[in-house]
Amino acid sequence: MVDRESTFAQPEIVELLKTKFVPVAVDQACQRRQKDAEGALYRRIAGQGPRSDFQNTTQGFYIASPAGKLLLYNNNRDPKKLLRLMQESLREYDLGSFAFDREQVQADVDASANVEQDSRYSLKPPAGGLVVRVHAKVLDGYKTPSNKNEAVFQRAISRDNLWITPKEKADLIAGRVPATLQRRIARFHLVDNTRGEPPMWKLGEVKEIHLQVDKGTLVGAVHLETEDGSRGYQAALRGQLKVVGDVVAVFELVALGEFYGEGSYTRNAPEGKFPLAVAFQLADGTDIADAVAPQGARGWLDGYLN
Amino acid sequence: MKRMLVVVGLLLMVPAYTRLVAGDLTEERCSTLITELQPGNDALWRTIPWKLSVLEARAAAFKQDKPIFIWAMDGHPLGCT
Repeated sequence: MVDRESTFAQPEIVELLKTKFVPVAVDQACQRRQKDAEGALYRRIAGQGPRSDFQNTTQGFYIASPAGKLLLYNNNRDPKKLLRLMQESLREYDLGSFAFDREQVQADVDASANVEQDSRYSLKPPAGGLVVRVHAKVLDGYKTPSNKNEAVFQRAISRDNLWITPKEKADLIAGRVPATLQRRIARFHLVDNTRGEPPMWKLGEVKEIHLQVDKGTLVGAVHLETEDGSRGYQAALRGQLKVVGDVVAVFELVALGEFYGEGSYTRNAPEGKFPLAVAFQLADGTDIADAVAPQGARGWLDGYLN
Repeated sequence: MKRMLVVVGLLLMVPAYTRLVAGDLTEERCSTLITELQPGNDALWRTIPWKLSVLEARAAAFKQDKPIFIWAMDGHPLGCT
């Protein structure tokens, strides 16, 4: 989140990424674990840096040659520093300091084109189903931020994707919101992920959810709460569902209610109860993030879908 | 006094989730929030042609003779948060 508003808000960095590099964004929690060519290449590159223990996070920025030789590792968000390091890496690359055997790399590229992928981490949306964009925002309740980064988190709008199976889509077309979909929405998407990776809700923490379709209007309510009462969310649900033939033309849903508590990676929530809104809208595939797997499905697609 | 205690006791037995906490989530409010919760399309980072696979990035980098820039985070940088 901070990277988006600092590092990647710097026009010179963006221009370099567009013209002089091939940029790739990954959830390293997948790549450092996955047992396939994708994971092997990532670990080969990251393993040359200081974060080579793949039992722990390897997050940061990496610059590598097409042969997988690491040119730079940096985990500093200062845009000026990163820009300087990127320019230095480019100079070295252009000078030929990282020359490589082109035939070997061509062979590696060819060999990895159609290899089997680790199915735990190479997730694709259910064929014939739907992808829905999910955005959340804390609407109020924060104290005055003490620094720039805190301000970024406080105004952040999060992003995740909800996957809907073909069977659930058929139910929607028939005017029903199936229980599996209601549970998935509650457990994995009614979360406060505006400051980092959130804890998802356990099944027993879904105290109540009901969501119905009434003449094209989605209406319902939800109550989520941990056993110890340290985190919870109670919200009203409302939206619209428009079906044309056998196509779901519109699926829009909003959850609006009071949230309280935080997770290990979502510290500095407002004190007490605060208003949290979560909005769902069909993805049209025009945003690269539409292809990103739901956070709740990471390494556990069956658990997410069922 | 005893009657009051019984009433308080009954009130405590009512599940908390029956309370309406979101106020009136009207159709208008709903539309406003759908719009309000969209990330700005003009955000600079969204104009970067990110790839989602290191293998795909390596193939493109080789073809274009460019270095690869990897943005690796806990949680997907383009999603999650």
